[in-house]
Amino acid sequence: MLLQRIFASVLLLACLGLALMAWPYQAAFSYEPVGPRAFPLLMLGLMGSALLYMVFRPAPIKHSEDEPPLDRETLTKIGICVALLLVFAGTFEPLGFIVASILIGVPMARLYGGRWVPSIVIISLMAVGLYLLFDKLMDVPLPLGVLDVLEN
Amino acid sequence: MDTLGYLGQGFGVALSPYNLVTALCGTLIGTVVGLLPGLGPINGVALLIPIAFALGLPPESALILLAAVYLGCEYGGRISSILLNIPGEASTVMTTLDGYPMARKGLAGVALSLSAWSSFIGAFIATCGMVLFAPLLAKWAIAFGPAEYFVLMVFAIVCLGGMAGDRPLKTFIAALIGLFLSTVGIDANSGVYRFTGDNIHLTDGIQFVVLVLGLFSISEILLLLEKTHHGQEAVKATGRMMFNFKEAASVFVVNLRCGVLGFIMGVLPGAGATLASAVAYMTEKRMAGAKGTFGQGDMRGLAAPETAIGGAACGALVPMLTLGVPGSGTTAVMIGALSLYNITPGPLLFQQQPDIVWGLIASLFIANVMLVILNIPMIRIFTRILAVPNWALVPVIAIITGIGVYAVHATTFDLFLMIGIGIFGYILRKLDFPLSPVLLGFILGGLMEQNLRRALSISNGALEILWSSPITFGCWVLTAIMLLMPLIRIWRKRSAAQRAIADV
Repeated sequence: MLLQRIFASVLLLACLGLALMAWPYQAAFSYEPVGPRAFPLLMLGLMGSALLYMVFRPAPIKHSEDEPPLDRETLTKIGICVALLLVFAGTFEPLGFIVASILIGVPMARLYGGRWVPSIVIISLMAVGLYLLFDKLMDVPLPLGVLDVLEN
Repeated sequence: MDTLGYLGQGFGVALSPYNLVTALCGTLIGTVVGLLPGLGPINGVALLIPIAFALGLPPESALILLAAVYLGCEYGGRISSILLNIPGEASTVMTTLDGYPMARKGLAGVALSLSAWSSFIGAFIATCGMVLFAPLLAKWAIAFGPAEYFVLMVFAIVCLGGMAGDRPLKTFIAALIGLFLSTVGIDANSGVYRFTGDNIHLTDGIQFVVLVLGLFSISEILLLLEKTHHGQEAVKATGRMMFNFKEAASVFVVNLRCGVLGFIMGVLPGAGATLASAVAYMTEKRMAGAKGTFGQGDMRGLAAPETAIGGAACGALVPMLTLGVPGSGTTAVMIGALSLYNITPGPLLFQQQPDIVWGLIASLFIANVMLVILNIPMIRIFTRILAVPNWALVPVIAIITGIGVYAVHATTFDLFLMIGIGIFGYILRKLDFPLSPVLLGFILGGLMEQNLRRALSISNGALEILWSSPITFGCWVLTAIMLLMPLIRIWRKRSAAQRAIADV
């Protein structure tokens, strides 16, 4: 309940901020009665009123039975996972697809309960395999990064 | 008899060797994707969009591929619900109720083939319905002007909330989030930059694939972290694989009834497969009465939701193809794919590109047949895939998701955006918000705004145009009914509760 109230309030503030941001949107020359501002403001307004209702009357959350409550351990895990994904995004171009995938894939496999050796073997094979599959076979260009020297 | 001629032409397109292979690959990929935990039809279709584009598939083949993946995913989800008792997605929850007990009784193979058969009949009925009604609807839809379209889309959004049942407010907020996100980027009419924060990567708006994969894949990866228990043991599919004639005959009437029901529910925007399967199961359970063994492995209890899902999955394509208004999350993704090819679905599609429309309809027939045939010899391989542990699976899903996003624009900004959206999606999910309305809102948002502005340009700013024609007026009436539905439901529940108290 409290979480929902907080979430709704934060989103409500975001709505207000975005509405302020949208206020000056006006076309310099316009031949139509509705400018670029109306629709976003309408949506933000509707969303704001719905959120306001939610702040005061949050709906109870139904948990499915196999869903454990969030504890500190899971939260740290989620934090680590997000960090790994961010590292993946950050190193994707400079280090290249294969290195970046192995770099984040192995810790991620560990996070989900894999052991070191099988994780390293499988993720490395997958990274190389996926690179060959997408880059060579399916023409989806992927950066090679530091492995660029191998290309020629 | 134009329709039959066009349909023949469609089969000509779909039966070309190239498209047959495409459909086969699609059904295979779809089944595997649907099998894996955390990946459903929405992710499957979204991941393949950039790949189909990169492969340089012609539009009709790409559409056939996506439709085949869609059907394959629905089918793959069924395998994990019957053998593992874990529904891959919301719509297959009903399948587990009787499918898993059947598997426990040693009828796993029969349950799987029977469900495939049921789903085939459902899809067959729905495809026939589509052949009959889609051209009529398309003809009628030409009379739609911008105002009518705008009101129709309002109706579609409200429908989502009205049908969603227990949480209309959250559905509504989720749809509005999607609608708002669609306005990010440069405004096509005036050239004003909206909500870009001077970021050059956002001028083009949020990429559809980025939104889908963030919302669905990344949030699912984070959700999987919570599930500590390591995979339930799958029931071994041994013994007889094929259902016999008697079993098929015993559920045939159920199939017919639920197929029609599924089709109708699929055509309605917002209802979709989840509701169709639930309603079908409940209706059949009530009709069987005390004689049925529903919940303990009754074949009718397996056939009913499966037929309805098959019917609804195909039925959902009707509003998408004829009106350009998607009825479900997956069809919203398919519209996104079509717009990559510069094809705008809508009434004119039937006249301008009959090859695409009828090729798609014909390939639905073919993909369904393929799935039934694939089922029997491949089932052992598919059950092997179920045994893949999460630790090997999740990193690969994450990496493939990354590739899918990178393939669209080749910028790492999209990767960061995807992660951000993924975290937001995770929070939404934890707070019990449904996610597919966000997607639907995102797809409809651009269309809605354009049509609203066009309509008001026609009327020179007078708002009457939005309710003056009979079609718009009818839509508003329906919208009002839909808005009232949750209220009526709450009121009924409340009075029932009061009566219960009075009885005590």
